[in-house]
Amino acid sequence: MRIKNIVLITALFGILALSPGCKSEKNNEIKVVNFEQLEPVFTKNDDVLYVVNFWATWCGPCVKELPHFMEVYDQYKSNKKFRMVLVSLDDSDNLETSVKSFIERMNLKGELYLLDDIKKMNEWIPAVNPDWSGAIPATLVIKNGQTLSFDAKELSKEELLERITKHLQ
Amino acid sequence: MKTISKIAGLLMITLFSFGTLSAQGGYKIGDEATDFKLKNVDNKMVSLADFKDAKGFIVIFTCNHCPYSKAYEDRKIALAKKYAPLGYPVIAINPNDPAAQPEDSFELMQVRAKEKNFPYPYLFDEGQKIYPQYGATRTPHVFVLKKENKKNIVKYIGAIDDNYKDINDISNKYVEAAVDALLAGKEVEVKTTVAVGCTIKVKK
Repeated sequence: MRIKNIVLITALFGILALSPGCKSEKNNEIKVVNFEQLEPVFTKNDDVLYVVNFWATWCGPCVKELPHFMEVYDQYKSNKKFRMVLVSLDDSDNLETSVKSFIERMNLKGELYLLDDIKKMNEWIPAVNPDWSGAIPATLVIKNGQTLSFDAKELSKEELLERITKHLQ
Repeated sequence: MKTISKIAGLLMITLFSFGTLSAQGGYKIGDEATDFKLKNVDNKMVSLADFKDAKGFIVIFTCNHCPYSKAYEDRKIALAKKYAPLGYPVIAINPNDPAAQPEDSFELMQVRAKEKNFPYPYLFDEGQKIYPQYGATRTPHVFVLKKENKKNIVKYIGAIDDNYKDINDISNKYVEAAVDALLAGKEVEVKTTVAVGCTIKVKK
């Protein structure tokens, strides 16, 4: 099993190395992560504007606002100083049964993660934002480790644009 | 010296006003919680004052539709069965506007209560007047109150425990620990926690 994994990882790196700078348009691979793996998004000093959205397939307002996020993503995806990170808080047991098909159906793009770190909610929820009680949807705009906006509510396209345009050239 | 104390005073005032600003969102530990008069699934009105012998309350903002509320349903029932006889009844309140979340209508609350045979009142926050006063932001969201000099004082705000998904892998039963401490006349150790949950639904 372990050898198989190593082979797989090596192969993956090989493919990545062969395609430098190739930013695939069909980018709806979802990665299951813990908070430590996700944390760089909140701390990176790379002048990139990160839009981070916490959502779940079962969350009505999340499902309603995701198309707005995709429209905004399409508008800015070519901007190297812009990245959109969608973090699913679905139960990881539902990854294959419902989350992946939902991503496909909604044509979700950007960087997709499923945060599977249930037992540490009392560490990562305050780390994401001290004002967050854990209710979703929640959206942050972050640049160089600074939170420029935090909303624990459904956003319209206009509201989302308003939060990001002033920080992008 | 005078300037220093002036600055200190100003700083205190600033800090204080910041404190009240953030408190706009609801209760902090030690605040007095408001009573209410809300309709139960049996069509009778329920107030905290009705529970003359209670030592306190486990107030849970919860609802029908939210997967987290559902995941905790049996644990809410267990809490009620364990702590109501000890003087801490569970009071469940649905804070959602059915116009925004039809699954959380009063009629469907009645259906769910009957199906699951809830041993606790399941109240409807009609007009959504109560949850903002408490500062509930999600379902489920628990407020443990203790009666002190006829006032209901907030002693714990947060989650029921630290694992919504797997009851066999719970390390901290926050609500039980809080109520156990209060029953033993001790200070609650973990007074606030956070957890993922569903936003409270308000019609736009």
